[in-house]
Amino acid sequence: MPNPRKPSHSPPNARTLTAIAQDPSVRTGGKILVTELTIPAEELLPGPCGYRVNVIDYDSSTDTLYEPAVYKALKNGHIEDPFALSAKMKQSNKRPKSYDRKLVEDPRFHAQNVYAIAMRTLAQFEFALGRRVPWGSDGHQLHIAPHAFADANAFYSRDDRAIFFGYFTGASGKRVYTCLSHDVVAHETTHAILDGLRRRYLEPSTPDQAAFHEGFADIVALLSLFSLPDVVGALLDLKTGGSKLIAPKYLEREALQRSVLLGLAEEMGSEVSAVRGQALRRSAALTPGKDYMHMPEYQEEHARGELIVAAMMNAFLEIWLQRLAKIGPVARGMRDRSIVVEEGARVAGHLLTMSIRAIDYCPPTDIWFSDYLSALLTVDREVVPDQGQYNYRQALLKSFADYGIKQARDTDEDGTWRRCNADLRYSRNHFEAMSRDPEEVFRFIWENRRALNVREDTYIEVQSVRPSIRIGPDGFVLHETVAEYIQILTLWTGELKTVLKITPPKEIPGNRRIRIFGGGVLIFNEYGQLKYHIPDRLEKLERERQVERLRCLAESGFFEETAAPRQATGLQSHFANLHRARAMGSGGWHG
Amino acid sequence: MAKSPKGATVRTYAVGFGDCFLLSFDYGGGLERHVLIDFGSTGFPAGVPQTRMMEIAQDIKQRTKGKLHAVVATHRHKDHISGFATSKGKGTGDVIASLKPDIVVQPWTEDPDLKPDATGPRSKKKQIARKLGRMGASTPKHIAALTHMHGIAQQMLTARNLPTAFKSELSFLGDTNLANRSAIDNLMTMGKKSSYVHCGSKSGLERVLPGVRVHVLGPPTVDQTDTIKKQRSSDPDQFWQFQAKSIGTDEAITGDEPALFPRAVKARGARIPINARWLRLHSRTMRGEQLLQIVRILDQQMNNTSVILVFQVGKKCLLFPGDAQIENWEYALGQDKYKTLLAGVDLYKVGHHGSRNATPKELWNRFKKRSKTKDPARLRSLMSTMAGKHGHVHSKTEVPRSTLVNALKGETDLLTTQTFGEALFKDTTF
Repeated sequence: MPNPRKPSHSPPNARTLTAIAQDPSVRTGGKILVTELTIPAEELLPGPCGYRVNVIDYDSSTDTLYEPAVYKALKNGHIEDPFALSAKMKQSNKRPKSYDRKLVEDPRFHAQNVYAIAMRTLAQFEFALGRRVPWGSDGHQLHIAPHAFADANAFYSRDDRAIFFGYFTGASGKRVYTCLSHDVVAHETTHAILDGLRRRYLEPSTPDQAAFHEGFADIVALLSLFSLPDVVGALLDLKTGGSKLIAPKYLEREALQRSVLLGLAEEMGSEVSAVRGQALRRSAALTPGKDYMHMPEYQEEHARGELIVAAMMNAFLEIWLQRLAKIGPVARGMRDRSIVVEEGARVAGHLLTMSIRAIDYCPPTDIWFSDYLSALLTVDREVVPDQGQYNYRQALLKSFADYGIKQARDTDEDGTWRRCNADLRYSRNHFEAMSRDPEEVFRFIWENRRALNVREDTYIEVQSVRPSIRIGPDGFVLHETVAEYIQILTLWTGELKTVLKITPPKEIPGNRRIRIFGGGVLIFNEYGQLKYHIPDRLEKLERERQVERLRCLAESGFFEETAAPRQATGLQSHFANLHRARAMGSGGWHG
Repeated sequence: MAKSPKGATVRTYAVGFGDCFLLSFDYGGGLERHVLIDFGSTGFPAGVPQTRMMEIAQDIKQRTKGKLHAVVATHRHKDHISGFATSKGKGTGDVIASLKPDIVVQPWTEDPDLKPDATGPRSKKKQIARKLGRMGASTPKHIAALTHMHGIAQQMLTARNLPTAFKSELSFLGDTNLANRSAIDNLMTMGKKSSYVHCGSKSGLERVLPGVRVHVLGPPTVDQTDTIKKQRSSDPDQFWQFQAKSIGTDEAITGDEPALFPRAVKARGARIPINARWLRLHSRTMRGEQLLQIVRILDQQMNNTSVILVFQVGKKCLLFPGDAQIENWEYALGQDKYKTLLAGVDLYKVGHHGSRNATPKELWNRFKKRSKTKDPARLRSLMSTMAGKHGHVHSKTEVPRSTLVNALKGETDLLTTQTFGEALFKDTTF
């Protein structure tokens, strides 16, 4: 079709916007470390308001709306980044004195910062999954309020279709803006995305499920930070003094733990720790090799979430070291700084993609850490069937085991999910419809309910059917389909024994109406054949887990008449309360 | 005077939303000893004259014939201590002080020696060090956290830009948690002696009440609490310090500052453009919820400093737990000696005006004298409360909680101030 204006190439697909690399307290040479984030290009309304994120700078504590960030469109299809450092300034590492002050004091930069980080996080999910990814909230455009209220809190709220970032006065008397912390923004954005991918993960269940949302959001936030070469470089420079060649002593495991993990934890604005928790610090401090998962202090959801973060961060270091070992030293064991930095950022990027892709391989309800580990391993096996040059699977298995996390029980020897070899009937289904239509997938499940072990007496619902597109190990595009279904069985405590052969935990007070969740994920290969059926919680093997879930619910007072279920609290946000409880060091209040 | 009392009377005063009980122990021959447990109110039903608190103070004076033997102030909430406030010699607190109590009993959290800035001569310092050794080294920090809470409550009261739906509960809870300087000072000085108690400590009442055994079941010390809590990932006391600092000094919350970025204001209030209104509504509601949540947690923490006392008079056991909630009860409920003691309770002053959190199931199940049928040995309960002040039916937080009231009606002889009508008080005699 002729272009009415003039023949030209397609408009640009990506653009960069300036953002603070971590937060205003992470500096190099006394200057705030900034970076340019690559994000999807789009036409922006004032706000910025784009196709997925709508930044509205409304402050409810003062009932004030601040000026939106406005972007000037350039002829080449790009927009003008009002906070960009010129090429000269970047090269000379000199900038006007007023620049740093402007970043902290101009609300339009704050709006740009949250927009860029949220869009980058979303783009990372879309890149990993090869499809558009929905928010957990209704609608397509998530509201972001960079200065929502005066409070040391920041959270995603599904019902409000928003992420709220608070501001507060720190101990030094200076104002602290949570919207300027990269990890906090990426963390909250991840909550919103994970909620869109797995809605049931916000249901009350075992400590693992509650901890997973926090732990996963931290993993994504931290890996996305470490995938920025600017950040990795600055952290290494803190110890090496910015030398172009790095001595081997800085590239040992403990040294990297100190410089990169602990280094970042220490550089991060400590006043925001009430908002972000201590996951990174603990990733470096926890001694590996203990059965943390069974220790009483790690039953509490925030502490438990830190375990999965520690496992992932240490796997990151391990793989980075493996890669560095394969790169020849320049002289006297010294390694080129730029290669070290690049490798680190690359490993973080890889692990980030794997971490995200693993969500497709996680059960739709009641996730346990062991499920997530098996999902991660399966993702890697799919991409690199033979162990390949770098052994990611072994590094992950070891690192997770170091923190007491083992693979799921119903898996192959290498910890990956078993392939489905059930005898299934496809003849009553249509190939094309199976890749997009929940009704069609339901028919497939119903036709094959016996082979798939799906109980007939439950409520069954196919929650989503999504394409998953990626490049296979041979370079060809793989088009697979991921379908999620849930089963809900409602019965009385007294019926648990007869129907499910579950002995009701003694903590359940009397004969209560109980909802048992089951369901699974079906992964169809490019021929529409079922490749994986990821666990069905109602199967025999999973009984123990159901009992565990019921026991945890009973202990938290879920079945008590006096304990108002979360729904009864109306607009109260789950994450608002969770984050507050973390800051207070308590797991919540007794009913 | 007889070595032990022949009987006891509990006078329950109608203080609206609050607590005020006068225990009178009868030693025969017209000799009595009187203990006043709490004297406070945060509101009266419509039609009650403003002079009600003074009427009560005068009645206490008359009933005790001008001499109180002890005062117990369970915790520093307004609805428990407002009556102790003085006013140039003419306040209700002045009347109570004129009754010259021999001893004033308060929780350990009120002990001036344990304040972070406590000072004194060297001998005093040794005494303080000994106390801290007993209570837990982080005790001053905990007491500081309670002080910070008053500051936060003050901030909540002055918070602007709130949707109307939140105003009444916030101001009620904020008001209850304000520091009541005058009452606190009066309580500190009005007694010949002061006793600051914790779970397992002596009450100090033994001397003034011969033949009465008084057990202190709460509040637990910092160390006692630590023995029952799982390891924490962060420190709740630090949270309050941080919270007080972060919002306490922020003019934005009080509305004294026009805006966060005065030079970048686009619009304010109702002039905010259409595309931002949905978020405005939701942010405002969310902020209200957030502030309410903080002040509710703060209110609970203050409740949990309540003194829990059991008076053993002959074969009768009277339980006065103030507003203690589960976190306060937890330590005592784990001790075998108290389990037995609680089983035999004859009179239960219903905790926290009948809220759902202050009568833990574990406590309720211990009471052996509960009975579905009326009999002379049946458990009696006293509830001082007023509906419509605290909590909501839809969130099952209304005070008094209907399910608890039904249980109290069904299994105890319940006396509630809600049925007093015009009466100033009612007596329960043993």
